[in-house]
Amino acid sequence: MYLTNLALPDNAHPKGAFMAERSNAQWLQELTAESEVRDAAIQDLRQRLQRGIYYYLSRERSDLSGLAAEEIVKMADDFAQDATLRVLANLDSFRGDSRFTTWATKVAVRVAISEMRRARYRDFSLDELMDNGDLKPDVGTAISSTPIDRPESAMEKQDALQKINQAFEEVLTTRQRAALEAVVLNGVPMEVVAEQLGTNRNALYKLIHDARQKLRTYLENQGLSPDYIMNLFEP
Amino acid sequence: MNDNMPDQTQQPRVLRLLEEILSLHEASGNCDCETCTQQLDCLAELVTSGHNAKELLPAVQDHLDCCQDCREEFEALLCILRAEQSGSC
Repeated sequence: MYLTNLALPDNAHPKGAFMAERSNAQWLQELTAESEVRDAAIQDLRQRLQRGIYYYLSRERSDLSGLAAEEIVKMADDFAQDATLRVLANLDSFRGDSRFTTWATKVAVRVAISEMRRARYRDFSLDELMDNGDLKPDVGTAISSTPIDRPESAMEKQDALQKINQAFEEVLTTRQRAALEAVVLNGVPMEVVAEQLGTNRNALYKLIHDARQKLRTYLENQGLSPDYIMNLFEP
Repeated sequence: MNDNMPDQTQQPRVLRLLEEILSLHEASGNCDCETCTQQLDCLAELVTSGHNAKELLPAVQDHLDCCQDCREEFEALLCILRAEQSGSC
């Protein structure tokens, strides 16, 4: 069952914790008002989002450190523009759980990061990764990493890895193997993998979660508890 | 080559995979990406106000621990809110 709402205790509600130029009600009222009032509110929102995104891109994204300042400004402008349009198109979905500007910044962050993920992984191919990759742990390698004075540990590892390999083959679907290989082992964003699998991020998260759960249950049924396995393989 | 020498490239891969599978948070199945995203703005304000996210929204925090995409977006949002709070942007 998936949660639809997570209630907060009254004393934890963050409303009013910040100084804001406009209240949530004012933002909503002005963004849906007539011409000039609306235009001014849109302009203020866009500028605010641009400042936040520019800060994030210029201070937190080491992968953009090779770009000139003007290029980052241009990126922030474009993301803020797209985000503003998205905010305006989704005003009905603002539930008032936070400040309006925090909600709008969340939308802008999603727009910016999604776009950068797509650009970074433009040439990524899940099929190619699966052709070249081998998700299953390498028994020989793991055994060879065992200290020479602990042969009993090598035997235990061999036994455990055979069961783990068996689990990957028997428990996981091809899609689950592909998802684990790309997301868990190679750090490819779920958004990118989901697109290549013809699904969405939410469904992919569930797919990976189910895969983890199935593997864990299978291994526990084989007598391999998480603590036992980690102790066995920790260097 | 000595067969008993540790392989520095493969062993972390095995460990990483096992860690990811075995460190599964039970509660993370109760909160998917969509639900998490709905709560991110609220959670970010709580955290920047000094509240403990794990206590107030444990399912969301568990999801963030397991989901790299949501975690990246949450951290970006936090970064901007903190900068706004401190007057840096």
